Amino acid sequence: MSAGTSPVLEQAPPTVTMELRAIQKSFGETQALRGVDLVIRSGEILGVAGPNGAGKSTLLRILAGEETRDSGDILVDGQAWSTGDPRDRVAVVHQEPQLWPALTVAQNMVVGREPTRFGFPSLPDADRATLDELDIGRYADRILDTCPLAVRQRVEIARALARNGRFFLFDEPNSALTDEESDRLFSSMHELAARGRVVILVTHRLAEMVAHCDRVVVVRDGRVAAELEGATLTEPAIARELVLGYQTVSGDGTGRPPIPVALAGGAAVLAVNGWTATTGEFRDVSMSIRRGEVLAIVGVEGSGARELTASTAGYVAASGRIMVDAVEGREAMLRRTAYLPADRRGMLFANLTVGDNLVMRLGIPEIADPTGLVRPARARRVATGLVDRFRVRTQSVRAPLTSLSGGNQQKIAIAAAIAKRPAVLVLEEPTRGVDIGSKAEIYRILVDFAREGNGVLVFCTEVPEVHELADRVLVFEDGHPVRTLDVAGFPDLTSLSDAVAAADHTGVGSPTAAT
Amino acid sequence: MGLGSLRTYGLLIAIIVISLFFYLQNSAFAKPENLLVLLRSMASLGMIAFAQLLVIIAGELDLSVGAVYGLAATTLAVLWLAPNASMRLPFHPELPFLLALALALCVGLGAGWINAFFTTVVKIPSFIATLGMLSIAGGAELLLSNASNFNPAYNVPPADATEVQWFRALGATTLPFGIPVQVGWLALFFVVFWVVRHRTLFGFRLLAIGGNAPASEVNRLPVRRYKFIVFMLCGFMAGLAGILDFSYIGSIGPNSGAPLTFPVFAAVVIGGASLSGGRGTVFGTLMGAVLLAVLRNGLAIMGVGAFAQLIFVGAVTIGAVTIDVLGQRASRRS
Repeated sequence: MSAGTSPVLEQAPPTVTMELRAIQKSFGETQALRGVDLVIRSGEILGVAGPNGAGKSTLLRILAGEETRDSGDILVDGQAWSTGDPRDRVAVVHQEPQLWPALTVAQNMVVGREPTRFGFPSLPDADRATLDELDIGRYADRILDTCPLAVRQRVEIARALARNGRFFLFDEPNSALTDEESDRLFSSMHELAARGRVVILVTHRLAEMVAHCDRVVVVRDGRVAAELEGATLTEPAIARELVLGYQTVSGDGTGRPPIPVALAGGAAVLAVNGWTATTGEFRDVSMSIRRGEVLAIVGVEGSGARELTASTAGYVAASGRIMVDAVEGREAMLRRTAYLPADRRGMLFANLTVGDNLVMRLGIPEIADPTGLVRPARARRVATGLVDRFRVRTQSVRAPLTSLSGGNQQKIAIAAAIAKRPAVLVLEEPTRGVDIGSKAEIYRILVDFAREGNGVLVFCTEVPEVHELADRVLVFEDGHPVRTLDVAGFPDLTSLSDAVAAADHTGVGSPTAAT
Repeated sequence: MGLGSLRTYGLLIAIIVISLFFYLQNSAFAKPENLLVLLRSMASLGMIAFAQLLVIIAGELDLSVGAVYGLAATTLAVLWLAPNASMRLPFHPELPFLLALALALCVGLGAGWINAFFTTVVKIPSFIATLGMLSIAGGAELLLSNASNFNPAYNVPPADATEVQWFRALGATTLPFGIPVQVGWLALFFVVFWVVRHRTLFGFRLLAIGGNAPASEVNRLPVRRYKFIVFMLCGFMAGLAGILDFSYIGSIGPNSGAPLTFPVFAAVVIGGASLSGGRGTVFGTLMGAVLLAVLRNGLAIMGVGAFAQLIFVGAVTIGAVTIDVLGQRASRRS
């Protein structure tokens, strides 16, 4: 974006203020927002941080107009905010832009605000100027799908500018961009802020928040729990705020049973060597999980941590050597691991009952005869046993899955996987969208499963989860593990959080190194 | 009681009400002979619909059943019968009847295999794969038979009398109590498919595969293998139904299966299956087929012509699904 005179950007009024007052929102029994108060001024970049399930996403969805608030006021320059005014609509720049992939960039610009009622619309001069302003004019006639991600994001910005939008929300916008593209995106943000727009940035990368935001608010427990500004705005400060006041579920991390002596220091239940993703997300990784151990993997999106986790169960293609339960090869991996993705919808069946979901991974002989005939009584007994063992709160095993809370559905998914008796359980974010009570139970279930002599590999996005659940944590960056930490060596959450954050930006290409 | 069974009861009531209406119009409707005619007329439709139901539960669909029906029957005729010189067939091996029958059934299995291959291995939508097969099987039938009509009983030169008897036994004989053999086939396959769908591990997992394909992968269910099985079963049933109808009617002409495509899907959908997969019962499908057969039979007795019947049957299909959708929306709101 060129500096100096900028006709498109100058159209906006010099300043605008958005004020949130006592915003509340509930989903059934769960109160996601308990009264958010926040003033956002144009000219600054405001960072919004918060652990999962703390209400951050709900707040952002309300701002984006994707969710309505139960109570509270939103004022723009003292007037009631209404999404009916296109200038007041908050333009969301997504990690994956939500546009029309089969149309050209120019057509994407005019969709919904076509200058003609009849005939095929062409690009108005003003819109062309906006594209030029954002340095993507030469892409005007390209099909959007064939443009690089950075260009597609700029189209989202351009659409908002074209309707003279004043509010921009960047939601994890650069997690899939190169460093150079990220820098350009950030300079666009600064430019927007300088020209009187309200700019909100959401990112998991704390270093970027510190580098680019004027102010950071931490959302915790449905409220704005902290505001960091000026000298107080540092990475450790944000990290500490993110874990502070976190309700520990087992007192402290030491509450969990130790690895039994018989297993301690024993053989690996899963080991990979020279493990490389076919599509390149991680390269030449060597690691192992001992029997009885819970190993956590952390890393921002794009670091390869998530993909590595899924690959050990065969759900991301990778090559190299893998050994599971003392047997080498892909066959053993497929037979002896069970995988649970982060999204519950990706592993449960909404068209079936609780009991059916619990026994879905089983077959002959657990629930069926050698002839392939299901034994309903046997299947029900197995399902009832699992409901009791894992304390699933359900009316009966015949209840539809969808009648259960998120936490109980999650327990069903884990119970169904454990019922298959894998040697290694592989999970991504096992307590995403789960209430605190179920969280504690899930941690206990997973630790107990490991202590029986199995392995648990878990991809985490939050330090408290690592603290509660894992024995060891592998910090991933840029396709490699950059550090291994022994969780027991950290007496409290804050010290572990600092250590993970420190490991987080030691590698090449970290945001702090780039600025 | 789940919503599925509620819906089946609604369907039963609709069948009874419509039957009562036809009976009051003309009491001949309820005569045992007519009811047997009615059941016989829906036999091939029902058999194919059972197999189609499994394909639909698995989240796919098979548009090629009508064409495979005709291709299998024609294949039997071409492989078995000595041709009349005027037919100018490309080839006529004059195989023994049983061998020709086996090969004709394999044609159905083969069409199903190809449908499954392109759907699950090449991963193109089954709508396209089976739409292509619809045209391929239809064209193959015309090419093989040179669009001729075959009639084993009056073939020139005549076919072996014993073989003709076997052929007639398939679809044109009568069981005790005057029940047409095709009604027996329908009953047999109703039981078989009911057990497969409602009592086997296969049927159980099929619900999962159609209900949530990505989750089925995560649960390590044999998605590809099961889809091969249902497509091949569907091709086989379509072929068998074509051969049984060929036997019942006594002759086979070009593209005789084309009118089946619509009622097969209509029966499955009226019976409560979801086209997006994961839902559907064999009994519901049977009731869907019965409803269609009652309509056609009753309308015919009332003197409504075949063309107008098509309009009625289409309207009833849309109406049945509309009632279901509205009912679901209402129950979700309450």
